[in-house]
Amino acid sequence: MAIDYKGEHLFPGHLGQIFVVLSFGAALLSLISYYYATTDKTGSDKSWHKLARIAFFINSASIIGVGSCLFYILYNHYFEYHYAWNYTSRSLPVYYLVSGFWNGQEGGFLLWTFWQAVLGNILIWKAKSWERPVMTVIALSQVILATMILGIDIFGQRIGSSPFLLLRNAMEAPIFQSPDYLSFIKDGQGMNPSLQNYWMVIHPPTLFLGLASMVVPFAYAIAGLWQRKYKEWITQAIPYALFAGMVLGTGIIMGSFWAYESLNFGGFWAWDPIENASVFPWLTLVGALHVMIVYKNTGHSYIMATFLVLISFVLVWYSSFLARSGILGDTSVHAFTDLGMFWHLVIGILIFLILSIYLPVIRWKELPRSTKDEDTYSREFWMFVGSVFLALSCLQLVVVTSVPVWNAIFGTKIAPPSNQVALYNVFQSAFAILVTTLAGFTQFLKYKKTDRAKFLAQAITYLIVAILVAVIVIYFTGIYRLKVVFMLLMLGAVYSVFVNGKVLVDAFKGKFKLAGSAVAHIGFGLLMVGALIAAGTSKVISENTTGEQFSPDFAKESNPKENVIVYRNEPVKMGPYTVSYVGDSVSAPDHFFKILYQRLDNAGKVQEQFMLKPKAQVNKQMGGFAASPDTKHYLFHDLYTHITMFNALTPDENSQGDEKHGEDDDKNYDPPIPHQVKVGDTIRYRDGYIVFKGLGLDNKVANLQLGKNEAAVGADLEVVSHGKTYAARPLYVMKSNGVFGFPKKIDEAGLKLALTKITPATKQAEITVYQQPEGKRKFIVMRAIEFPYINFFWSGTIIMVIGFLMSIFRRNKELKTS
Amino acid sequence: MKKSSIFGIVVIAVAIAVIISTYASSSTYASFREAKQTNSELHVIGHLDKQKELYYDATKDANYFSFYVKDDKGDECKVVFTGTKPEDFERSQQIVLTGKMVNDEFHASKILMKCPSKYTQDKLETTEVSAKKADI
Repeated sequence: MAIDYKGEHLFPGHLGQIFVVLSFGAALLSLISYYYATTDKTGSDKSWHKLARIAFFINSASIIGVGSCLFYILYNHYFEYHYAWNYTSRSLPVYYLVSGFWNGQEGGFLLWTFWQAVLGNILIWKAKSWERPVMTVIALSQVILATMILGIDIFGQRIGSSPFLLLRNAMEAPIFQSPDYLSFIKDGQGMNPSLQNYWMVIHPPTLFLGLASMVVPFAYAIAGLWQRKYKEWITQAIPYALFAGMVLGTGIIMGSFWAYESLNFGGFWAWDPIENASVFPWLTLVGALHVMIVYKNTGHSYIMATFLVLISFVLVWYSSFLARSGILGDTSVHAFTDLGMFWHLVIGILIFLILSIYLPVIRWKELPRSTKDEDTYSREFWMFVGSVFLALSCLQLVVVTSVPVWNAIFGTKIAPPSNQVALYNVFQSAFAILVTTLAGFTQFLKYKKTDRAKFLAQAITYLIVAILVAVIVIYFTGIYRLKVVFMLLMLGAVYSVFVNGKVLVDAFKGKFKLAGSAVAHIGFGLLMVGALIAAGTSKVISENTTGEQFSPDFAKESNPKENVIVYRNEPVKMGPYTVSYVGDSVSAPDHFFKILYQRLDNAGKVQEQFMLKPKAQVNKQMGGFAASPDTKHYLFHDLYTHITMFNALTPDENSQGDEKHGEDDDKNYDPPIPHQVKVGDTIRYRDGYIVFKGLGLDNKVANLQLGKNEAAVGADLEVVSHGKTYAARPLYVMKSNGVFGFPKKIDEAGLKLALTKITPATKQAEITVYQQPEGKRKFIVMRAIEFPYINFFWSGTIIMVIGFLMSIFRRNKELKTS
Repeated sequence: MKKSSIFGIVVIAVAIAVIISTYASSSTYASFREAKQTNSELHVIGHLDKQKELYYDATKDANYFSFYVKDDKGDECKVVFTGTKPEDFERSQQIVLTGKMVNDEFHASKILMKCPSKYTQDKLETTEVSAKKADI
């Protein structure tokens, strides 16, 4: 029997679902119409073309409709929808609701198809004679993406996963038997704390724009093969390929920056399968760009250019498969789990893979080939070599990352290499040495034929300069302690920066059109320099040398002890810093730990100090916590700090020291020690001393009414602990029905002080000191890492993006003039 | 021989080297019993024995964490990890350990946990912790 549920808002979901289906239907219609418009040889009948455009516009409009409905649901906190319940909560600020939008896989697909629609509209406007075949491919891609969010059952098989799934349909629970179940669901599950970072608002759209824009060069390649316009498509596709490379590169590095700023693995790149997957298409596309330019200028390398463009887009789908199919479950930290779309994604890959094989094969004999070999002293030959090595570095990433895929295909049970980070570092650095060196000396070569003597003179002169500089850099940054391959990479990167610096200087003297590539190469070189120094020579400054050794033979191995315990207000020396945990601040649900870094000179004077506030988000429902680091950025290095453990949270700093009494509380302290003191006496204790300054009468006590003949006496105490001074005034209250002590707590010093007796005759008082045992005192366990020269990594990226942008303008201009 | 053929051979050689190196450096999934017979690092899949003690006391040693894991074959072994207790460790359903046997303890250099996702019961989430530095 159907239950009449109360309080649900079904309209936006229904409307959204209609838009989902409409977007699919319209994309399909657009595909068919564009296909017929392309194959119609007479060219006189414009009706297919018109219909195709209208269908594509409807598709674009319905995608915006889907997005609006979903955002409306998230914005109004309609938790009857699984998506809203699963990824957001009422306490999320609006800008994180935006990132909640792409928190789930459905949102990711939505973002992808949205960008593809935007690109499609740009092509309709700009592509002119190319519109029909190119848009056929784009429409095909739109159809496949639309099926991913369809969420409709066909023949008992759920096709795609809709973002408008209702909570009660998404999971089974007894609560859904009740018609007013919604009144029990007050809030959503909220967003994973590590995703609550401003970079998560802009990183996914950028990354998805990059992935989506890979379809354009692919569509041009397919169109060129299909329509036998073998030569022309390459020139057309270059600006779009540059755009895709620029945006995807930016998106990847943004993700790296997010990881560095808000995750606690302590770095900016971890070779996680998901990270690798996003780099696959970038590497092949950058390779493709170079051979496309070679073909445009010399007529060589056509097949390589076509192959790399086609494979780049297939790899986009493959990386999407890796991320979403759940196949990486055993090897990746942040892969999604399977939404039941494993085979759906496989079909997606296969469609584009088959297309990429079929067309080149049937056109094989007609493809343009150069009759003679490239000259050894020619730019085109070495650009070709560089592209091949970019593709090979991609191959290495694919082969290792795909270990679970090989297991699934061949039924094997191979585990990934146990130290895969080292494996990736060595291999990828070796490829990077070749690529950076080629990006260097190839600048001295000309297309077709170069004067050999002149080339060698230039290339070697710059190499010598680069060697000198690299030796200095390697010596001062400590890279010489690493494997040789990393020193060579430093040399290659420096060489590339210098040679391209020369090209840039020449560009300003007149050959300005070469500036774009020079800037991009300089950026890439700097990126390599920064990554190498920051990752290779990062130093854990929180190394623990004092901790008790549990198992001596364990310590003998090179097992780093990177975590250090820091007690509240007890400074610890770490590297050049004196580090103290000085307090907490809470802004729900974040708990910040205030960590004071001081650099002292020999005289003990503070040279420099700053506060870092790494945070932890405690999840009360599920237990556990999630920590995010905080980083001090200097121009030439960063200091990264995060909390790995803590023993107590003070929910509110202001409430501390309240009079709380009760026997239970005393259990948190060591056995009390009474002291008989006179005014001016000093009591010593483990962490400092207490001065008894005097007694005073109080006429009111917090919650107690004092009557006649009743009095409260307060003892003024001054506590000095680790160079800090606290005041405390425990009370002694005499009432008609007895005497009461009101002890005072000083949590920061781990003390509770009580005035337990007054002897007016001798003017003595008894102060009882409760001291927290060592283990009960507040502490944190933290890890601090110094990353030298990491700003080269970020600024290299920005420079590279600027280079891409300059090249886009140049190639666009060439298109217009030709 | 043409230059392109030489280059082609170089490319094929590199590709083969990549595949062989991957295969050669790949590890295996094993049980604790198999781990005892070898000195090399391998992966053990198992689950946390929640009956036995999880030992972590930052005041004694902030970098020592030990616990007991039952592997897929049902063998149990004490595991030692140099580092802090990972977040949400108790709630893990499945653990993939990377490391090797030292005497009768399994010394893990990396722990990959599969937890019921923090916020949803219907999805799984994995996290990984590593004792290694950024080794380059």
